[in-house]
Amino acid sequence: MLLGKKRIALLLAFVLVLSTVLGGCAGNSSQSSAKNDLLFMGSYTAPVIDWDPSICYSVESLVMNNFYETLLRYEPSTDSFTPILATDYTKSEDGLTWTFNLRHDVKFHDGTVMDAAAVKYSLDRNKDMNKGASFIWAPVNEIKVVDEDTIDITLKYPAALDLIAACGYSAFIMSPTLAEQGTDWFQLGNEAGTGPYKLESQVPGDQLIMTQNEEYWGGWDGKHFKKVVVKNVGENASRRQMVENGEADIVNSLQVEDLIALKDNPNVTVYTSSSYANTIGFFNTKVKPFDNKLVRQALAYAFPYDDVIKYVAQGYATRPTGVIPQGMWGALDKPLYEYDLEKAKALLTEAGYPDGGFDMLITYISGVEDRKKTAELYKSELEKLGVKVELRGMPWDQMWELAKSPNPEDRQDYLSIAWWPDVVTPASWFQSLYHSEKDVFFNLGYYSNPKLDTIIEEADKASGIDRAKATELYKEAGTIVADEAVSIFVTDGKSIYTINKSLKNFSENPAYPYILFFYDFYKE
Amino acid sequence: MSLIVLMGVVFITFVITRVVPSDPAAKWAGARATPQQVAAARIELGLDKPYPEQFANYVTNLVQGNLGYSLRTRNPVMNDLKVFIPATVELVLMATLLALVIGIPLGIYSAKHKNRIFDHVSRFFSIGAVSLPGFWIALALQLVFYSYLDFLPLGGRVSIETSLMGNIPNITGFLLFDSLITGNLVIFQDAFRHMILPMITIALYPIGLVARMTRSAMLEILGEDYITAERSYGLSERLILWVYALKNSLGPTSTVVTLSIGYTLMSTFLVESIFNWPGIGKYVSNSIIALDYPAIMGVTIFSALCYMALNLIADLIISLDPRVRL
Repeated sequence: MLLGKKRIALLLAFVLVLSTVLGGCAGNSSQSSAKNDLLFMGSYTAPVIDWDPSICYSVESLVMNNFYETLLRYEPSTDSFTPILATDYTKSEDGLTWTFNLRHDVKFHDGTVMDAAAVKYSLDRNKDMNKGASFIWAPVNEIKVVDEDTIDITLKYPAALDLIAACGYSAFIMSPTLAEQGTDWFQLGNEAGTGPYKLESQVPGDQLIMTQNEEYWGGWDGKHFKKVVVKNVGENASRRQMVENGEADIVNSLQVEDLIALKDNPNVTVYTSSSYANTIGFFNTKVKPFDNKLVRQALAYAFPYDDVIKYVAQGYATRPTGVIPQGMWGALDKPLYEYDLEKAKALLTEAGYPDGGFDMLITYISGVEDRKKTAELYKSELEKLGVKVELRGMPWDQMWELAKSPNPEDRQDYLSIAWWPDVVTPASWFQSLYHSEKDVFFNLGYYSNPKLDTIIEEADKASGIDRAKATELYKEAGTIVADEAVSIFVTDGKSIYTINKSLKNFSENPAYPYILFFYDFYKE
Repeated sequence: MSLIVLMGVVFITFVITRVVPSDPAAKWAGARATPQQVAAARIELGLDKPYPEQFANYVTNLVQGNLGYSLRTRNPVMNDLKVFIPATVELVLMATLLALVIGIPLGIYSAKHKNRIFDHVSRFFSIGAVSLPGFWIALALQLVFYSYLDFLPLGGRVSIETSLMGNIPNITGFLLFDSLITGNLVIFQDAFRHMILPMITIALYPIGLVARMTRSAMLEILGEDYITAERSYGLSERLILWVYALKNSLGPTSTVVTLSIGYTLMSTFLVESIFNWPGIGKYVSNSIIALDYPAIMGVTIFSALCYMALNLIADLIISLDPRVRL
C-alpha cells in the first residue's frame, strides 16, 4: 500500500514536470513579437567567420554590410552611386585624384566621430593589411586628409575608384579607436561600424543578434526592424520547414525542388532577381586536343545550353551571353554559340577528330546538385560525338588542387566554377580568370594571350575616366574569349531567397551578391 | 599504453590531413586571396617548413594545450572546443540517461515475460532502434512534431525569443543545469523542449542496446540457483527482479552503456547538423566539409581521449564485480 502511494506520488510529480516542461509547446512556431520588432533569417552558412572588417571576405559580408558602411553604394540599374558616408565626390580630369566630401553627422557605434581622419585610417588599414580583398586598393597611391570632412585619394592609374569605394568587401569605414585594438579584438566577436545595426550578441558559428543603432544617421522614421537575428540553419529541409511555418522571415539556398514546391504556398514568396554571380566552365587549353581552338569550339557547340536552364536550373537561372553577366556593363549582347551537334561534328572533323576518339575528364564540385546534373547532361552530348567522358565529383579544395597541378597533363580537361565580382567591374572576371598567370591561381583554363592581356589592362585603366571606352574594350576582350572558346558560359545566376509573404521592400542589389541591407525591409 | 594510443592517433591524423589534396594556406588567406597573400599565409601558419618539423611543432603546441587555429572559424581550436563541447556532452548525457530509464525496465520486463507478446514487441523495438539510421529518425521526428503538429521546435538549443532575453546563464555550459541552479525556469523549459527531439534520436540506439543487454543478462541470472532459492524463501517477484537480479545484471549493462557513449558521441555528427545543435558534432561536420584540418585534429584528439576515458571506466566497472578477476 505504501509502495502504491509512492507510485501515485511519483506519477503525479512526473505529470506535473512534464506538463510544466511541455506547457509552452503548442503554437511553437508562431512569432510572438510585434510586426517590425524582429526579423529572423535562417542562413545556409554561419553568420560570421572573420570579424575583422579589413580581412573578412566570405559569408559574413551579409551581416558586415549592416554593421559597417562604405563611402558609396553602387546602383547597377541606373549605373549610379548612392551617397552613404560620402555625400559627394569629384575626380580630376586625368582620373588620378579623387576628392570625397564626407557626411558630417555620423558617429561610430562606440561614439567616436566619423571624420576624414577616421576614413583615412580605415582605408589605409584595409589596404595595408594585405588580407581579404585588400587587393582592390592596389591602384591607390596615397590618401590625404584635406579637412575634417574631406579626403583626397591619388591613384597610380585612373581606376574606377568610385566602384572600389562602394565594394562590399574591404571598403568598410571603422572606428579607429576600436580598430586600434587589432584583429584579435575583432575576432572575439566585436564590430566598430557606423551602420544601422550594431551587434547585440552572438553564438560563434551559430547565431547572431543585431539591434538598431539608435544614433544612426539615416534615422528610424518609417518602417524598419528593431532587431535582426541571423541563424545558421545548415539543413535544407529545416530551412524550408522554418519558412513554411512562419518561424523564419527569410531563408536562402533552398534546393530547386523546394523552390518549385513552395511557389504556390500562400504564406511565402520565392524572390528572384538578376545577379552578377555566374557559372563558367574552362577547358584545359594546355593539353591535347583541348589546345586546339577548333576542338574547343566544337565542344562549345555541343553544350546543351537551353536544357541546363530548363531542366537543371528549372528556370532559376538565365542563358549567359559571355563572360560578363547580362545587365552589367561590358556584357556581350548575344551568345556566340548555340547547341548544334552538326556544327560540332563538322568542327571536330576539321580539327582531325571526325569520330571524337579522345578522353575527357570533367570535374565538378561534389554535393552541388546542379553542377552534377549539368556535367551529366554535357557528358551525354559529348558521347554522341565519340568523346569518352569521365565525370569526377570532388570537394572544391581537391578540385582546385588538381587544377593547379604543376603538370598540365595531370589536371582536369574541363571544370566549372561560380564567380561574382568584388568590385563591380568586368576586371573582376577578366583579370582573375583570363589574364595570363605565372603561377596558376584562378585562370583555370590556363589561357594566355598577350593581346588579350593588353586589352584587359587598358580597359582597367580606362574605367576610371572613360567608362564608354572601357566598356568597348571589355566587350572586345569578351569576344576574344568567346571566339577562342576558352570557356563554356553555363548560367547567369539569379539571386533567390524564400521569404515570408508579409515581408516588404525585400530586394538584393545584384552588385552585392549574398548581401542584404536589412534596414530597407519591413513587415506589413 | 594510453599515451601511445594517443600519439598514434595524433600521428595518423596529422599524416591524413597532410595527404588530403588541399591547401590550408589558401583557405586561411581567403576565397580569392592573391598568390602573394597565400604565400604570406603559408609562412604565418608554418606550412613552409618540412613535415617532420611541422609535426614536432604541432606536438609541442599540443602539450601546451594549443591546438592551432581553425581555418574555418579563425579562432583557436581550443576555444572552439570549449564553446561547443558542453552542448554535446549535455545532449549525450541526457540521451544516455533516457536510454537507462527506458532500456533497463524494457529489458527486465522482456526477460520476465520471455517469449510472450511484450517480449516480442520489446525485442522488435530494440532491434528497430539499433537498426534505423539516426538521420532518418531525426527528419521523421522533425516532420511530425514540428511541421505537422507544431508541437516541438525544429532545432537549436533555445528559441529566438529566449536568445533575445539576453540572460542565458553560462556557468558550466550545460544549459539545463545552469538554468536550474540560477532558478531560470523559463530558459530551462525552453532548453528542455529543444532537447527532446535530438535526445530521442540519439537515445534510440542505446535504448535498444541497453534493453537487449539487460534482457539477456537477466535471463541468465533468473536461471541461477540463488534466484530459485530466493523464490523458495517466498520473496516477492518484484523484489527479486528489481533488486537481487537487476543488481547482478547491471555490470554488463553498465559496460555496454559506457562504451556506447562513444558511439553516441559519433552519432551526434549527423544529428547535431540536422537539429542545428551548436555542439561538437556540428562543428566537426562543418570542419570536415571545409577540410579544416586543425579543427578535425582537435576533435579527433578529443574523441580519442573520450574513448580512452570510457574504456577505463568500463574496465573499472568490470573490476568492481567480485566475480571478475582481472
